[in-house]
Amino acid sequence: MSEGTFEPKIIGFFCKWCTSAAADLAGTSRKKYPANLIPIRFFCSSRVDPQHILHAFKNGADGVLIGGCHFGDCHYQNGNYKTARRIALLHNLLEDMGISKQRLRLEWISAAEGDRFTKVVKAFTDEITNLGSLKGNGA
Amino acid sequence: MKRIGVFICHCGINIAKTVDVEALTEQIKKYPGVVHAENYKYMCSDPGQNIIVEAIKKQKLDAVVVAACSPTLHENTFRNTSERGELNRYVCEMANIREHCSWVHDDREIATKKAFHIIKSLVEKVRLNEPLDPILVDVTKKALVIGGGIAGIQSALDIANSGIETILVEKSPSIGGHMIQLSETFPTLDCSQCIMTPKMVEVAQHDKIKLLTYSEIEEISGSIGNFKVKVRQKSPFVDWVKCNGCGECDLVCPVTTDNEFECGLSSRRAIYRPFPQAVPNKFTISKLGHPPCRIACPAGVNVQGYIALISAGKYKEALELEREANPFASVCGRVCNHPCEAECARGEVDQPLAIASLKRFIVEKGSYPTEQKKPNGEKIAVVGSGPGGLSCAYFLAKKNYQVTVFEAEKVIGGMLVLGIPEFRLPRAAIKEDIDYIKSFGVEIKTGVEVGETISINELKTNYRAVFISTGAYEEMKLNVEGENLAGALHCIGFLKKVNLGDKVTLGKNVVVIGGGNAAVDAARVAKRLGSDVTILYRRSRKEMPANSWEVEEAEREGIKIEFLVTPSKIFGTERVQEIECLRMELGEPDESGRRRPIPVKGSEFKIPIDNVIVAISQKPIIDWLGKEFGKTKWGTLVVDDDTGETTVKGVYAGGDVVSGPDTVIKAVAAGKKAAEAINASIKGIKIARKEYNKATPEPEKLRQTKKAPRAEMPKLTTDQRKGFDEVELGFNEETAKKEAARCLNCAICCECKQCETVCEPDAIAHDLEDKILDFDVGAIVVATGYDLYDPERLKEYGFGTIPDVVTSMQFERILSASGPTVGEVKRPSDGSTPKRIVFIQCAGSRDKENHLEYCSKICCMYTAKHALLYKHRVHDGEPIIFYIDVRTSGKGYEEFYNRVTDEGATYIRGKVSKVYQDNGRIIVLGADTLSGKQVEVETDMVVLALGIVPKKGSEDVVRKLKIQCDANAFLSEAHPKLKPVESQTAGIFLAGAAQGPKDIPEVVAQASGAASKAIGILVQDKIAFEPTVAGVDEDLCSGCSICVAVCPYSARELDKEEMVVKVVEALCQGCGSCSAACPSGAAQQRNLIDRQIEKMVESALEEN
Repeated sequence: MSEGTFEPKIIGFFCKWCTSAAADLAGTSRKKYPANLIPIRFFCSSRVDPQHILHAFKNGADGVLIGGCHFGDCHYQNGNYKTARRIALLHNLLEDMGISKQRLRLEWISAAEGDRFTKVVKAFTDEITNLGSLKGNGA
Repeated sequence: MKRIGVFICHCGINIAKTVDVEALTEQIKKYPGVVHAENYKYMCSDPGQNIIVEAIKKQKLDAVVVAACSPTLHENTFRNTSERGELNRYVCEMANIREHCSWVHDDREIATKKAFHIIKSLVEKVRLNEPLDPILVDVTKKALVIGGGIAGIQSALDIANSGIETILVEKSPSIGGHMIQLSETFPTLDCSQCIMTPKMVEVAQHDKIKLLTYSEIEEISGSIGNFKVKVRQKSPFVDWVKCNGCGECDLVCPVTTDNEFECGLSSRRAIYRPFPQAVPNKFTISKLGHPPCRIACPAGVNVQGYIALISAGKYKEALELEREANPFASVCGRVCNHPCEAECARGEVDQPLAIASLKRFIVEKGSYPTEQKKPNGEKIAVVGSGPGGLSCAYFLAKKNYQVTVFEAEKVIGGMLVLGIPEFRLPRAAIKEDIDYIKSFGVEIKTGVEVGETISINELKTNYRAVFISTGAYEEMKLNVEGENLAGALHCIGFLKKVNLGDKVTLGKNVVVIGGGNAAVDAARVAKRLGSDVTILYRRSRKEMPANSWEVEEAEREGIKIEFLVTPSKIFGTERVQEIECLRMELGEPDESGRRRPIPVKGSEFKIPIDNVIVAISQKPIIDWLGKEFGKTKWGTLVVDDDTGETTVKGVYAGGDVVSGPDTVIKAVAAGKKAAEAINASIKGIKIARKEYNKATPEPEKLRQTKKAPRAEMPKLTTDQRKGFDEVELGFNEETAKKEAARCLNCAICCECKQCETVCEPDAIAHDLEDKILDFDVGAIVVATGYDLYDPERLKEYGFGTIPDVVTSMQFERILSASGPTVGEVKRPSDGSTPKRIVFIQCAGSRDKENHLEYCSKICCMYTAKHALLYKHRVHDGEPIIFYIDVRTSGKGYEEFYNRVTDEGATYIRGKVSKVYQDNGRIIVLGADTLSGKQVEVETDMVVLALGIVPKKGSEDVVRKLKIQCDANAFLSEAHPKLKPVESQTAGIFLAGAAQGPKDIPEVVAQASGAASKAIGILVQDKIAFEPTVAGVDEDLCSGCSICVAVCPYSARELDKEEMVVKVVEALCQGCGSCSAACPSGAAQQRNLIDRQIEKMVESALEEN
């Protein structure tokens, strides 16, 4: 990270079965992606409480990426549907709080999609870099 | 504060190359709570693990973070290491700095910094981790295997052989699945029956296997170690404990249906054993419910039953069956309006069966036994000897009541003898039924008019019950001027005179007014008396209530019908001379649903007449019954719908006296109903309301049924119809049998009960009901198997239209020594030996656009086998195989394929576009992609190598098990490589083609694999569950139950007394969705509580 350029801080909440495994596969395949994201592993994306996301934004995160299994693939039958609904609601609230909803992204990445994981992290990091610091410009 | 140790692995150079492990160690040492940090080349190695054990002990560590690879690989390793250091396994966490860091970044500085953030966030996690103990649950040491094909059989045997009790549930009456249908198996050509039947017998005889065939899973709950299963054991309508499999029933059953085991290439009986080697070797009756004809009959006559018995040539039995529900077989065989025929499913193919005429046939062919009844001393009186009264008498007499029938007229039979003319219903035909009824000891007193000769009260006093069935004899008047002039007659009076043999003379021109059966009868009688007859009816032909076939006969006999005409006045001095009529037009529908006729103004016209016969309905005469009898505004008696009892207790009524003028069969039904009610009332039993479950053939069966016209009833020519000879002449035996054979056997079993008469062990149980059985099991193997792709969807290959285009499974049966052709290759159409057979591979498979995308895997090999076996059976036969690719991956498979080509099978690489028939020859149109040419092959037979799809109906079991399927509806394994027999739900294992197309050796291997996985669970006394479940802080819980709704495992329940949620820890799988949903923070997932997540987030974001 060189001086002067903005390096966003990103938190990743990933389910153990799909997206975290996809990150493992990206590693095994030596796919490179930016290092701005720190992953936190849950059993299921449905464990993600909107408060955890707000807590991340409050503590300096410029972006939050939630990763779960594709619909129909959830290890816990339907956890990802619950996540989808919660994130949809939170997206509305974020705008009201003055946080651009682009800063919160929900992606379904299966254990087989290491390549896609890399692409998603790259794209999301670029997007947040373009948006700039949440603390700096408030959006 | 907790003393935390951090151990950083170099993973050779995998981590150390990109992450500065030394700097990282120094940096993390300074992090709050970290009292010890160390790095090592291979932390997972023995010396590496010892470093951790030593440090835990020496540094008195409370928690450990191992920064290395993915926890998927080594979490278990390092948690075991912690335990060796006497530290609880759940205070050890892994930080993934390899897959998530060193392998995906190049910049050493950046990677080291990220690794630091990852590690410290896990340090924050372990700081709040609690020591936990795995949740231990008792294991129910029983297994359930679903599916009795080779996969299920293998799994069940393996589990049972390890000493564990196993329940094997199979949907069909026998185990064996598809494998038992196969002729020989590739590549070794061993006979499927020879290798399969010993296994089937072993299952049946195994003391650890409980075999439940003809059973289905009703419900499954619980989880690994403790599943609760409800099994529905369908009723085979045969007591399997008593059935000895002798097969006598098979010989007498008159109903044939498609033989499923022979893939429809032959037929079987309604009572059947799927195949001779079936296990268990028991018989089952196919019952689909009640046929529409039987439901449509007001008297509930078992129509399908007597029709089936006619086709079997059992006329005596047919007549007995008919008379179980209706004593008036001879009468109804002639004059019934047969509502059964209107409902007959055959009508959807061509025309309904001639049911009534067949009934007449059995009366003429059958004889009846006269049972000698021993009177039970209870006396019943019946008033009126029409079909209603005599039916009631008959059904009561059969139950040993002493019945006396009082008839006011001198003749017996009511409207049958008084109203219906002889050319439709000869007196001898009525006598046939009356004699039959009398044979049960029914006493009939004629010339006794109740209300005159004897009072109703006398009957009430002297008899236990009275049934009134006095018909409807009061004729309705036209109420027009001139109705009372001489020459104006009323229908029933007229018919009665003629029928009783009184001399009646009519003039030349006779007009009959009315559109019912009585009007048509009167007209036809008048015609026979020499008059020119015109019927005037006020509505159109469509609304005419008379039976259409009677109207046709009347017209054929030269009777004119004027529709939309009503009389307004009759002119004449003393005698009728002229009738004035009005034209009508139809308006809106009235109460009866028929369009109301409205007179057209100024349309009056006159017809010269010598006689007019008014036939516009009748009503009952009931003024002889006192006020205590409820009467309707139509002048009929009020009765209870269910029993037929009048408003006077013990007095019942039925027939036209209740309904107004109606049909014979409805009167029979009313008499029957009252007889049942009287018997029930005297014996103090309740009458169960009959519930009918209508059975109609599948649309596919209707489509496939070949058209055959309905038998024509031979009749007198119109020239022969001068006198009162019966017009209809009846069927001969040949016609009757042919007509009976048109029956589609809607309900399959017709309940003729012939099987009961021959079953020596008395095993037939037509009333046997399904049973629900409950089981507790610890593990489940799902082996629901496969079906072939529906050939109907491959229209271009001519299946269903060209009889010699068969499916691969049909060809297996043709090849099988136990099959319909005893192993000789014969064409289904004409039984000839096919000299050339075209085999079409990938029929339905590998066709992403139109059919199945996937390869069905076994078809290449079984087609090769088919070609070889065909060559072996027909030496000069010519097998031609169209293929896309030939896939022969398997031990000995390529060698087998080489043998097939060496022995003369021709392989053409290309797809078939069309199979069609030209002048009786089958033409296959395809491409040869190697030569790039179109090919046209003339052939004697075509075999479609159909693709493999999951068993029809298995989706229901899958839904109940809550396991997952892939995009093609095959069962999903937990991991495509490493967990091929596990489902994604712990404790449920997969075997066989339900998981994907596979051949027998693969199925057996997988079944044994699934069995060993199940055994692995079932040999344990307790099963350990991850303790990272979500609990409840009862102080915070408000009982809002939001968590109860989100839990996918029903692990959370509201305790309504304490108003807090309780958790069944054994059911919780630890997804944590309740924790996210809980508004008060009472639901917290252990070792992943909100506070931990917040601290991890903070730490991951903090620069230092």
